[in-house]
Amino acid sequence: MENRRLFLFKGFMWVLAGLAAAVAVLRFALGLGVSTALSDTTPWGLWIGFDVMGGVALAAGGFVMAAVVHVFHQERYHAAARPAILTAFLGYGAVAVGLLFDLGLPWNIWHPIIFWNPRSPLFEVAWCVMLYLTVLALEIAPVILVKTPFQKLHGLLSRLALPIMILGIMLSTLHQSSLGSLLLIMPFRVHPLWYSHLLPELFFVSAICLGLSMVMLESSVTSWLYKREPEMEMLSGLARLASFALAFYFLFKMVDLAIQHKLGLIFDGSWPSSLFIIEMLLSAVIPAVLFAIPAVRRSSKALWFLAACSVGGFVLDRINASGLSQVWATRNFYFPAWTEFAISLGIVSACVLVFLFIEEHFPVDPHALEQTEAERKKQESALPAFAPFAQVWLGEGWRKSARVYSFLFVLAMAFGLTVAPKTEPVLQMPAKRAVGADILRMGPGPRYVYFDHKKHQDEAGGDKSCCICHHLHQKGDVGTPCVVCHQKMFLPTNIFNHEAHVAALNGKASCALCHGEAEPVKVAPLAKKCSECHEKDFMAQNPAVKVFDSKWAPSYKDAMHKMCIPCHEEKAKDPKVNQPNLGRCGACHDSGTATEKAYLAKFPDSSKPGGVK
Amino acid sequence: MIENPCILTDVTKCIGCEQCVAACKKINGLPEAGAPPRPGATPDGLSADRWTTVIRKPDNHFVRKQCRHCLQPACVSVCPVGALQKTPEGPVIYDKSICMGCRYCMLGCPYGIPHYQWDSANPSVRKCILCYPSLKSGKIDKPACVTACPTQATIFGAREEMLQEAKRRLKAEPSKYIQKVWGETEVGGTSVLYIADISLDFLAWNGGKQLTDEPLPTLTWAALKPVPFEFIGMGAVMGSIYWIIERRKKLMAEKARENASEEGPNGK
Repeated sequence: MENRRLFLFKGFMWVLAGLAAAVAVLRFALGLGVSTALSDTTPWGLWIGFDVMGGVALAAGGFVMAAVVHVFHQERYHAAARPAILTAFLGYGAVAVGLLFDLGLPWNIWHPIIFWNPRSPLFEVAWCVMLYLTVLALEIAPVILVKTPFQKLHGLLSRLALPIMILGIMLSTLHQSSLGSLLLIMPFRVHPLWYSHLLPELFFVSAICLGLSMVMLESSVTSWLYKREPEMEMLSGLARLASFALAFYFLFKMVDLAIQHKLGLIFDGSWPSSLFIIEMLLSAVIPAVLFAIPAVRRSSKALWFLAACSVGGFVLDRINASGLSQVWATRNFYFPAWTEFAISLGIVSACVLVFLFIEEHFPVDPHALEQTEAERKKQESALPAFAPFAQVWLGEGWRKSARVYSFLFVLAMAFGLTVAPKTEPVLQMPAKRAVGADILRMGPGPRYVYFDHKKHQDEAGGDKSCCICHHLHQKGDVGTPCVVCHQKMFLPTNIFNHEAHVAALNGKASCALCHGEAEPVKVAPLAKKCSECHEKDFMAQNPAVKVFDSKWAPSYKDAMHKMCIPCHEEKAKDPKVNQPNLGRCGACHDSGTATEKAYLAKFPDSSKPGGVK
Repeated sequence: MIENPCILTDVTKCIGCEQCVAACKKINGLPEAGAPPRPGATPDGLSADRWTTVIRKPDNHFVRKQCRHCLQPACVSVCPVGALQKTPEGPVIYDKSICMGCRYCMLGCPYGIPHYQWDSANPSVRKCILCYPSLKSGKIDKPACVTACPTQATIFGAREEMLQEAKRRLKAEPSKYIQKVWGETEVGGTSVLYIADISLDFLAWNGGKQLTDEPLPTLTWAALKPVPFEFIGMGAVMGSIYWIIERRKKLMAEKARENASEEGPNGK
């Protein structure tokens, strides 16, 4: 292990990949509900905002460098072109993998090939990404093929390189801008600071800026990892280009906002406006200004920091436009579940690992390959190393690291499988009872029922009658507050105490009393009904309520619906009561009665300024 | 089945009994008690298992919400594979066998109608389909929700008739209603119309402030139409830039060689 820095970095990448693998299992087995915080108000989250929108933009370095080097003949940037194209290829691969996670029906991902809707921008994006992935594969193939026996194919592809490059640039222009077109249909969701009819053009320009920054960042990171000298001449040249591109982007954005009379929104102090200011500072203003200073361009540390700053800013732009800014309309603050982060990071780390593998084994950057191959030779010719205490041969360098990496991967996966959630999150809806208990209000929003609690209570037998509706069998137990069992008022609660029954019925010999001799498995649904033994204990006082034989105490809604309705329907038929409409929904849910209005006026809804009227 | 089927809902007549919801669940085979709501569920009460809902508003106003079956639906235009289709008769329907599950339709809809089966590993997009299969086969002549309504707050007919009926009611009792038919012109017109004595703008995202009478699909089409030209144009520009620079380089190289050869003999 010559390079400890690289070893640790790769190990960390393997841990992230293992964690993602665990979440992936749950995602495909149990669905999106369990593994994400997405919802009907926020159907697109981190996987679209970061992996797809951000991923495509991050991979823009590929087409930008192809244009700079091969079309504009700026040969001094040649060293950056191949790694950029390789990154683009892996980046688009990551987008496709990310989509497999995000799509609800990932096995239908190929459908755009045969089912066409040319009016959908997403259809265009799908086609461009498919084609561009192929083009990138063709661009990168010669690098791989040169080390294989297929030399004829290598020659052919090398000769076709230029038309392929140009086709790649054409395709990139289309889908980089189409990602902006995706948002055009939703002026009602995207905040005005991001919404513009020029979204496609803005996305295209920002993709070029991001492409340049990303190439700089990537080159800096690889030279740090492999402990090489940063290629300063190339980097400062790119920084100069980037400062022009970023300044242009900033002006474009400001002019666009000015034309739409939206400049005032930038400083209105709202949450989207702060997001916008942060985004613009990070992505364009700070890097554009500092890149323009020659002294800054000579410092490798400053360049790598500024490139990271700009990349972060533009990724934030994509996330803002496709998600965060929409909170303005949806009023639902979505924050990704940790499982979503795990998948996103896992995909990135897998790509990084593949990138490093290809760079170490194929002539992506010929100079770098020489270095790594020399190092590998040195390792191979070194004497075998033994573990200091066990005196066991550790194997050659690569085998040893492979063992460590696979161990880390499996460990992370096992950890992920243990801690990842297996059930869906449920919205906690507090059931509120208005003071006076005459109006039942439940859930979010004004949903209420007119219910004269006192009248019902008096009719059922006064103070001790609660359990007639709310408890089914715990006779005499009026001391236990409802919330002890009913943590969630909308869900039924198990009221059957198995242990107490076992103890009362002389231990294990009594199983058959409830479960039956022939019953293959001793499970609750097959057991005897409670009422078979406890008939006397159930609600003898209220003949209108049907005998309940469930082991579950009803939820609020069930207690009301299942128990009120039969009684009401019966009374409606009774000529003595003379209320033929008592059985209809409107008897409770109907509003407009003077009594109800008076009650509601007395108990305003504290959550709303106007109150429920 | 009639052409341009349309539902007219008169908010002043609705008593909020939710018989329409029950009937809708029955005919579409939806579970009576659907999955418990997730954090972030839409506050209107719609879900993958509840395709129509009654929103309770102050002063005993009940507003039934369902798919609007727009004349130029945004959801249909954004679906990359055409899983959502506007039928020739009018209702907007969904075909799961084509869907990829990208959920773009849920973002494209200005009313937030399509909902997703988050709790399933094989999920569908779900929304009101105006009982299209049953209407088409002639099994029923009105959508189930309309048949179930005890107060005729929601009625069914051809769009032109419903529009006339709405305007007749507005005219007959001008003091009772706000003089507007919701759905007549917004986003190019919808096949579910409303008349009411309160504003119904809340049915759309953000109070419908960004919606105009222009159909939403035109917003994207304006950007997509020139795409083939942009594609070819970019290729032509890149190709010619390459050619010009290449040629200039070649000329310069030639000139340099000429200079060298001219200087050569003179120097001797």
